[in-house]
Amino acid sequence: MWVWFSKLGSPKWFYELSGKWLPWLIAAMVIFMTIGLVWGLVFLPPDYQQGFTSRILIVHVAVAGTSLAFFPLMLVAGTVTLVWRMKLADMVAKHAAILGAWFSFITLATGSLWGSVMWGTWWEWTDSRLVSMLFQLFLLLGVISLRSALEDSETAAKACALLSIVGCINVVIIKYSVEWWNTLHQVASPVSLDPTSPNGPQFWIATLIMIVAVYLFLSVSLILSTRNEILERERRSQWVQDLVLKN
Amino acid sequence: MKPHRRKKLGIILFIAAGLSVAVGFTAFALKQNINMFYTPTQVAEGEVGAGQHFRIGGMVKTGTVLGATDSLKVNFVTTDFVSDVPIQYEGILPDLFREGQGIVAEGEMDAAGVFQASRVLAKHDENFMSPEVKAALDAAGASADNHMPGGTN
Repeated sequence: MWVWFSKLGSPKWFYELSGKWLPWLIAAMVIFMTIGLVWGLVFLPPDYQQGFTSRILIVHVAVAGTSLAFFPLMLVAGTVTLVWRMKLADMVAKHAAILGAWFSFITLATGSLWGSVMWGTWWEWTDSRLVSMLFQLFLLLGVISLRSALEDSETAAKACALLSIVGCINVVIIKYSVEWWNTLHQVASPVSLDPTSPNGPQFWIATLIMIVAVYLFLSVSLILSTRNEILERERRSQWVQDLVLKN
Repeated sequence: MKPHRRKKLGIILFIAAGLSVAVGFTAFALKQNINMFYTPTQVAEGEVGAGQHFRIGGMVKTGTVLGATDSLKVNFVTTDFVSDVPIQYEGILPDLFREGQGIVAEGEMDAAGVFQASRVLAKHDENFMSPEVKAALDAAGASADNHMPGGTN
């Protein structure tokens, strides 16, 4: 296991392996995204109260759920950076922060659109779900700016790792905000296997497909940007030079 | 694992655990401040001071919505199925506003015990269903929207 673990830390090994995975991941992403979007935006039944506006859940729920994965991911990467000083973990963490900020932004934007139609407001500062999500965006922007503010890349990696570990607490707050405090935002919809009850399969199967699609999108984006980062940081190494000459 | 790495991992775990506890206590202490609204029962129990600007959240009691014909004035009663609070509002209501629907209103209590709202927002619950399913449930006599706003609160 330890051999495998230290191999994982090798940028060259990751670059080669991810190159083999990428076509498969991209193909799966396209398939899931197409099915999810067509199903969700064309065939999803209207909600009895919200009508077709509820179709925005296809994007909002999938992106919001996925956006909560970034801090746990950065927690793992940050811990590996701090304890084992693996460079690859820091490269992943760097791009996870940027992607995570975009995911958080899309969550807030789609939620705001939905809220403007259904709740009658774009934004409520008193809603803990909304504010904790905005806080996640600010935390991620904080991680990004912390990295660019520190000149020494090793210090930056350590500082960002620590902030990511601390920021993880906010994910728990986002998740449970609607249960611990009363909010305008709904609580999580419980899924039901029974098609004749609320939140039946006609709603959640399409949502589930979109969640898988968005996770695949996240993986593909993260792998692509990490590969770029590897080439950039290892540009003086022999294997990157060989790669450039070969192409 | 090498000893110095184990030590580092220990420090990280310690910091994470300490911060979680600190945030947990803070959140608990701020519970009412973080809540978006008071329930009608909390209002009836006098948890809100006189003249205080606050938000109230509850269901629109069925059969209580009275709209003026010559203005945007509307009167209705909000309930958490324990206590009721009458609300008066003048303005445009969200499309989702209807009897039996969760709402959050912002304003203050007047001397007569009527909540004078400056804003009314609609709250939808966690149940998504097609009109067909809703009709079938209603026919079966099971009211699916019989939920308190705010989940467990």
